[in-house]
Amino acid sequence: MKMGLKINGEFKEFDVDPSTTLLDLLREAGYMSVRRACDTGTCGVCTVLMDGKPVLSCAILALSADGHEITTVEGLKDDEDFQRLLDLFLSEGVDQCGYCNPGFLITAYAMKRELKNPTDEEIKMYLVGNLCRCSGYVGQMRALKKYLGVEE
Amino acid sequence: MRISYFKPGSLEEISELKVQEGSHLFSGGTDLFVKMRYGVFKPKMLIDTKGVRDDPKFDGEKLIIPMNTTYSELLDMGEVMKDFPLLEDAMKEVGSPQIRNRGTPVGNVCNASPAGDFLLTATVMDADVVIAPKMRKMKLKEFVKGPGIVDLKNGEFLYSIEIPRWQGYEHYFEKVGRRNAMNISIASIALLIRFNGDVVEDVKIGFGSVGPRIVMYEDLEERMKGMKLNESLVDEISREYMRRIEPITDLRATKRYRKILVRNLLLKAFHLLKGVV
Repeated sequence: MKMGLKINGEFKEFDVDPSTTLLDLLREAGYMSVRRACDTGTCGVCTVLMDGKPVLSCAILALSADGHEITTVEGLKDDEDFQRLLDLFLSEGVDQCGYCNPGFLITAYAMKRELKNPTDEEIKMYLVGNLCRCSGYVGQMRALKKYLGVEE
Repeated sequence: MRISYFKPGSLEEISELKVQEGSHLFSGGTDLFVKMRYGVFKPKMLIDTKGVRDDPKFDGEKLIIPMNTTYSELLDMGEVMKDFPLLEDAMKEVGSPQIRNRGTPVGNVCNASPAGDFLLTATVMDADVVIAPKMRKMKLKEFVKGPGIVDLKNGEFLYSIEIPRWQGYEHYFEKVGRRNAMNISIASIALLIRFNGDVVEDVKIGFGSVGPRIVMYEDLEERMKGMKLNESLVDEISREYMRRIEPITDLRATKRYRKILVRNLLLKAFHLLKGVV
């Protein structure tokens, strides 16, 4: 079936089978920052922004995203605030394997736009749907508190 | 097998499609696609309800939540949520931001899982449901018949949920899971209570994940009314809930663990609300 998406500011048309998920579509179209892991709406690595809000692309049917605006890490590479987030992830040594990274970055970027002066607890609650199996989240918390301007 | 997809623009069209064999309605799809991926559910036709759009509203007495309204949309209603603090507490603990941006209360009610956070809270708050296309209205607690079983006839579907405001009531909500909010709970409690001094004027208590449906005991609620909320009453009532509730043992917890948890959740609720025990 025919459908259209605005991905990272660019309008694109697709012809998809109805069972295609948004994750399938994005990866097949070359947006490789969007990762696949659990594929069952639990781990958060497939997080993208849909109309500015974080969603799980593995749990959305491509057709039901028809006409919406999708943002992936690729679309934020020229965004100054996003670059700052990347720099903080590097300087704080957040990553080990890095597989969960794009999902984390997208969720953190959305969190900054949604929460004002969050507490540690609120930051953790916002990240409840993003799993990291290497790090124990200490590095992420360090980087995020700087990014959100809430370091003590 | 090939699945067909439709996104009708009216309630009548949804109803006509729903009559067909193997059809399944969805809005956010957060639950549906997981079930499809695991292969436990194989619909032939997916009906996307998002072609029909009505906004949630508060009419001064009740909150009206139509289909396709997400948790995030409700939580963003700000001022209105101040009149529904129990609902707000429960919805904040649903899944993750990603899930709340897609998942819907109407979907949660239709799944009729006894572990549904929204279903528990709306049941305790004595919500009504409105069923399309004829806009038949009934009590939520009668609508849900068992796990995954709701009172819908051919061509009918849930259009909206109406939740009354419980002014002057204190509330408590907690769910206990193995890891965090993303997990299905082992047991959950939602409680509304109105006091006159130390005396209980009215109370509603519901438990999730400890039976095939949301568990509420009207006679125990009645027994508390007019009584002073003290240690002996809380002890008696919490023991009675523990005795009666018949949960199952599953991979999340044993029956015995759940029974003790039910009592402890009640003790904790009354301790935090009134400093009893």
